[in-house]
Amino acid sequence: MASNSSSHTHEHHIVSTGTYLLTLGALVVLMGLTVAIAQVNLPAIGILSGTVVNQLVALLIATIKALLVICVFMGVKWGTTLTKLWVIAGFVTLPLLFGILGDYCTRKYEQQPGWEKIEDGALPRISYENPAKPPADSSELNVKIRQ
Amino acid sequence: MSSTVITTDGLLPKPQAEEVNYLNVEHTISSWLLTGDHKRIAILYLISTTFFFFLGSVAAGLIRYELTSPAGVALESDTYNKVFTAHGVIMVFGFLVVAIPAVFGNFVLPLCIGARDLAFPRLNLGSWYMYMTGGSIILAGMITGGVDTGWTFYTPYSSMYSNTQVSLVLVGIFIAGFSTITTGINFVVTIHKMRAPGMTWFRLPLFVWAMYATSLQMILATPVVAITLLLVVVERTFKLPIFSPELGGDPVLFQHLFWFYSHPAVYIMILPGFAVVSELIANFSRKRIFGYHFVAFSSLAIAGLGFLVWGHHMFVSSQSMYESIVFSLLSYLVAVPSAVKIFNWTATMYKGNVRLASPMIYALAFLMIFTIGGLTGLFLGSAGSDIHLTATYFVVAHFHYVMVGGVSLAYMGALHYWWPKMTGRMYAEGIAKANAILIFVGFNLTFFPQFIVGYLGMPRRYHYYYFAPEFQAYHIMSTLGSSVLGLGFILPAFYLTYSLFKGKKAPANPWGAHGLEWETSSPPPVTNFLETPIVMDEVYDFDPVSEHAENMKALEKAEQAENTSEGQH
Amino acid sequence: MSAITETSDHGHGHHPGLHHQYEDMAQQTESYIVGMWVFLTTEIMFFGALFFIYTLYRWNYQLDFYIAHEHLDWKLGAFNTTVLLFSSFTMVMAVQSAQLKKRIAVMNYLGVTVLCAITFLVVKYFEYSSKFADHLYPGVNFATDAKAAFGEHAFEAGKLAVNMNHAQLFYGLYFCMTGLHAIHIIVGIGIIIALIRLWFNKANSVIHDYVPTEMVGLYWHFVDLVWIFLFPLFYLMPKPH
Repeated sequence: MASNSSSHTHEHHIVSTGTYLLTLGALVVLMGLTVAIAQVNLPAIGILSGTVVNQLVALLIATIKALLVICVFMGVKWGTTLTKLWVIAGFVTLPLLFGILGDYCTRKYEQQPGWEKIEDGALPRISYENPAKPPADSSELNVKIRQ
Repeated sequence: MSSTVITTDGLLPKPQAEEVNYLNVEHTISSWLLTGDHKRIAILYLISTTFFFFLGSVAAGLIRYELTSPAGVALESDTYNKVFTAHGVIMVFGFLVVAIPAVFGNFVLPLCIGARDLAFPRLNLGSWYMYMTGGSIILAGMITGGVDTGWTFYTPYSSMYSNTQVSLVLVGIFIAGFSTITTGINFVVTIHKMRAPGMTWFRLPLFVWAMYATSLQMILATPVVAITLLLVVVERTFKLPIFSPELGGDPVLFQHLFWFYSHPAVYIMILPGFAVVSELIANFSRKRIFGYHFVAFSSLAIAGLGFLVWGHHMFVSSQSMYESIVFSLLSYLVAVPSAVKIFNWTATMYKGNVRLASPMIYALAFLMIFTIGGLTGLFLGSAGSDIHLTATYFVVAHFHYVMVGGVSLAYMGALHYWWPKMTGRMYAEGIAKANAILIFVGFNLTFFPQFIVGYLGMPRRYHYYYFAPEFQAYHIMSTLGSSVLGLGFILPAFYLTYSLFKGKKAPANPWGAHGLEWETSSPPPVTNFLETPIVMDEVYDFDPVSEHAENMKALEKAEQAENTSEGQH
Repeated sequence: MSAITETSDHGHGHHPGLHHQYEDMAQQTESYIVGMWVFLTTEIMFFGALFFIYTLYRWNYQLDFYIAHEHLDWKLGAFNTTVLLFSSFTMVMAVQSAQLKKRIAVMNYLGVTVLCAITFLVVKYFEYSSKFADHLYPGVNFATDAKAAFGEHAFEAGKLAVNMNHAQLFYGLYFCMTGLHAIHIIVGIGIIIALIRLWFNKANSVIHDYVPTEMVGLYWHFVDLVWIFLFPLFYLMPKPH
């Protein structure tokens, strides 16, 4: 990167208005599509219920819209490699955050009784059908009290 | 009577013009407070982080004083809660996350890659103002009643029941978090785009690699805690429920989100420490770091794996058992890159030309203390043993070993190493060496007993332990040690300040170190280098053989000159 | 260490928009664009955490969220989406005009973008007002009239079929996420107005270099991106079985 005193302006790719208009058109059409599909109850596919299919389709369309905005409107398609790397970085780290779901998904497999997930709550709670019998006195505790 | 004027032209030596550097180019307050110069901003950070460190230490002193008696000494339970929260919040958000990156990253990073400044100088200044604003708001919260939730702000206590200044302090932390984010942005773009010609990625000093890894974590993790703390404020202020258990929300969700940041945060704190220690050990062993590529990639590995282990703070928080197993395994994995660094640093010193200057003593102390701290982290990372050790003083001792013994010692080492470069003055090396040993002794005296008393069952965040009066001996030892440690941290304020006025003027390269920052004058000129450097040799390219020969030749010449001049008289 | 020196040219011939720490405009431009994207990555993580909380609670309380969401008017949401998409288009046209150095066009496009943003906020105001009118704000008086708030679906065989607690969670999330998005829009309006002012005053920072305009554009497109995901998740929820 030896410095040459270049005074010519950057050879930056200038995107045509037509491309932008086409992209806008595509975005609006996709938006209409997502609204239309939301009115329809899609059938189930394999183990995915109809609700899930609907949601996945909506998210897919949203992703396509996002890609259009990122690549065309934000210019990433004509950007440098470094720019593309940093675009991806955020979307790669966010799924790591969704790893927290691993806790909530596996709570119901806990073997300890009383940690079953009650339908009415995200918290695991002691089942009130069989509350643990509280100890009658301290001699039943398995902790030795210091003198 | 006629007066005769005696001219002295040509008889007296001309007074040397003091060369213009970043310190003396302008003296006005606005030239400091509105500067874009990364070096001046680093000095601003130095003053503010020292101030926050001092305040946090006062809180620490209160804690140690309170714990000298089993029934507590002077504080009520509520007040004690506020004191340890203040200690945690000020130290973590006011000192540890900020200190090495903002002071030494800002000062040294552009110098050691050969740039004129960081990528975004005005953003850098904004970063300091955000830090000061956030810090001031935190202090305002501490003064107007304090916070008693602990620095971890667990819900639902912080979001619903605490009657203290939680919202104010959280807003302060939120703003200070943006300081971290903007610093990270600045460093990443600088390292990618502003390296000098010839400075390829693998010619970068390991300081830069670790700073890059730190910046990655700053950028990706800090926003998560920003939104989480903001949600707690929103829940307190507008009663918008997110973490409310009675509505079906999950308070443990807060813990997940909080630790998703706070675990990478501890790597944000320690990676710059690693950065500094790499530089110190290489330059004071006058040898290329053993396994340079491994150390460079281990920084990135720590940054990456650090995102995958947050659950090890939540083993007893009703987290699913299966999740705990996974996090336990991943926590053991993340210890591996840190161990790689320790081994490589040690191997660097083998057959190196080790010089025990004061920065090197700090680096060696770091090696010993961080190893203990890191290994005890493994006891805590194993879910089984953590059940017994969690929320005891064992945890407290572990994180103080890595944070104080790791980050703070690295900070002191960096301060002593780059002090001549930053200020252009040499300090009293003898006192500095003694001080380093004083800190090492005081530190171990303070925190090693805490491992033992924690293992024996002393809970953390308790200001009394009347149920176990036999712990008093350990606590008294710890408090005595903290006095020694406090002395060790205060003394540099004196001898370093003294050096500003009476210290010898420092040459460009007082340590004989390798790096672009040592190629320019001490203190550097405003644009860092008078001419853009072009890097031709590899990093840490010491050549002891030819340098020794040159030194011998210079010595011979000096002796000859002395002999001839003696012969003349 | 040897560093053969070479003078860097700060004399004649360098671009008027070049800042002192950069060697040439290509380096500066890429630095600014990458810097802006790094900031947007932090925003992705910022909003992403909220999307995660939404995912968690919706996955647990699907029916309650569905019934609660029925008060949201998808037509208003679709209108807002269109408005925001159009504002994205005018924003990118403003950037193109800045590249072509067409000052008046820049200011016009930026002005239309601001108008679109204000339209969005006005529609949001009406949406929020209708929520408050039906007591759909989390708190003690939440949904005192469930029939008016949620319609027929709220009842099944005469009994309340929706868990009011979970509905409060839904509205807590709704106000947090759309509120945070609205704050970003307000900040965006302020920034765009500041940009218009710079162009109006022919400030050197924007006349010679299109990158500041591009950076504002990137921020605005990000705001649009967030809404592209918010719209289907809040307004177009499929009915759970």
